[in-house]
Amino acid sequence: MTHYAMVIDLNTCVGCNACMAACAMENQTPVWDKNKWRTYVHDKEIGLGSDVQRRFFPRLCNHCDNPPCMTVCPTGATQKKANGIVFVDQDLCMGCGACAMACPYHARVPVTRRDMREGREFYGSDYRRSSPSMDKCSFCDHLVEQGRKPACVETCVGSSRMFGDLDDPNDPVAQMVASGAARALMPHIGTRPNVYYIDDIRWRG
Amino acid sequence: MDVNMTYATQDMWTWWLAIYLYFGGLGAATLAVTFLTDMYLKPNRALVIWGAGAGVVLLALGSLMLFGHLLDKTAVLTILNPMAMLDQSTAWIAWGTQFIIWMMVWGVLYALPYVRETEFPRKVPGIRDLIDKPFVIGTAKLVQSFHRSVGWLAVINGVGVAVYTGLLLQSFPAVALWHNPAVPLLFTVSAFSTAMAFLLVLMYTLLHDQADEHVRVLYERIDLVLIAAELVILFSLYQYLKNGSESGVRSMELLWNDYGWLIGFIGFGLIVPFLLELKGVMRGWASRVPILTAAVLVLAGGYLLRHYFMYAGVYAYPW
Repeated sequence: MTHYAMVIDLNTCVGCNACMAACAMENQTPVWDKNKWRTYVHDKEIGLGSDVQRRFFPRLCNHCDNPPCMTVCPTGATQKKANGIVFVDQDLCMGCGACAMACPYHARVPVTRRDMREGREFYGSDYRRSSPSMDKCSFCDHLVEQGRKPACVETCVGSSRMFGDLDDPNDPVAQMVASGAARALMPHIGTRPNVYYIDDIRWRG
Repeated sequence: MDVNMTYATQDMWTWWLAIYLYFGGLGAATLAVTFLTDMYLKPNRALVIWGAGAGVVLLALGSLMLFGHLLDKTAVLTILNPMAMLDQSTAWIAWGTQFIIWMMVWGVLYALPYVRETEFPRKVPGIRDLIDKPFVIGTAKLVQSFHRSVGWLAVINGVGVAVYTGLLLQSFPAVALWHNPAVPLLFTVSAFSTAMAFLLVLMYTLLHDQADEHVRVLYERIDLVLIAAELVILFSLYQYLKNGSESGVRSMELLWNDYGWLIGFIGFGLIVPFLLELKGVMRGWASRVPILTAAVLVLAGGYLLRHYFMYAGVYAYPW
């Protein structure tokens, strides 16, 4: 059984934001509102005085094995595939926002009718969305089904983002996770996320 | 990785959700208390009509708050289907919606025989025609035969609504303030406390009947116990928040450093009414003003609790 996961190496993320752009164009997200991107790279300055480092931290839906956004969804719009991808059925979603309240990773965002109007202007006749809903990263499941990788992974210039199958012992992603080099965010919450991070060692000592 | 945490409150569910939770708890508990009073303490037509009316109106207003903020209002049809409760058995909104609907249905049915006996509805043109329809008369007679069963169905759903308001917040695991067992308890106790306060206001003003004195006294005593329970739960919650996760500590700091919470809710919404009602129970008051004051303060405090709870939930993000 396939179990998709992503590993993000914080050492090689250069903060170019190409992943954000690729995701937005692939999934037609509301780029006019920075709070509504499916993936976002946080740019933070860390340190004191002259010893300050910039740190880029990409975030996205963690496609949890125990997703609280799915648990609280009253309409069943948030679903999980057998391959581990958590997705939203836009037609079922009534947009109550409970998923956004439940998500510890700030990965659920509202796409409103106003966003759809803007979307039709911005993306033109190719705009696909037919109803407003709570939106989220889908690991570009439409690309994955074609044997490709998510748009953010395909476009990542530093190979910071890696996508693979946790159930395949020969997959580098599975190996990085199994070795403990890549770790999940906030595992104590019990969400069992499938996005792992390799810590940046630049300012560790 | 998580050495640079960011702490943030949310702006997804704000005051309007607090109103939804407040009206939901208040309306449902008012309906449950009046029906139980009517069934087991003293048959009281006026109280039942007010209880059912308040339950239906408040729940409708509260639900409108949530409905008005839905992104796709047509998709709400999915959860109006009772099967949604089974299909999405882990989602409290699915349960809550059914509790609300069925509380209204059974509540209206329970009150129907009383409404038909009451003069006022007959003065309202639309209602007069409706309650004299053969179908409604037959339904009222049928309900009369199973009055207590119908009453219990309404009460069970009403209690379900009151508990649901807390369970909904409790189901969000990222926020320590919400995700703990004290929250459903606190919201349920608060719902019944505000219901007692609402009924006391009603019985000291519009339904002032000397024959109901023992009911009023009982409501005052129950409210006193409920306020005391609320204070104990809040004290426990404070102890839980102050030494635990950073999310909890920050929520605690937001709440207990805010005069609206500290003086508004805990001071004037709980402690002052507690003292006023305690004096009333121990030695009595010469006038109804102190108890009315206490009741109004409890009602305001009930909203403040939910308002501050929504704004003080802190998420801890590892970026």
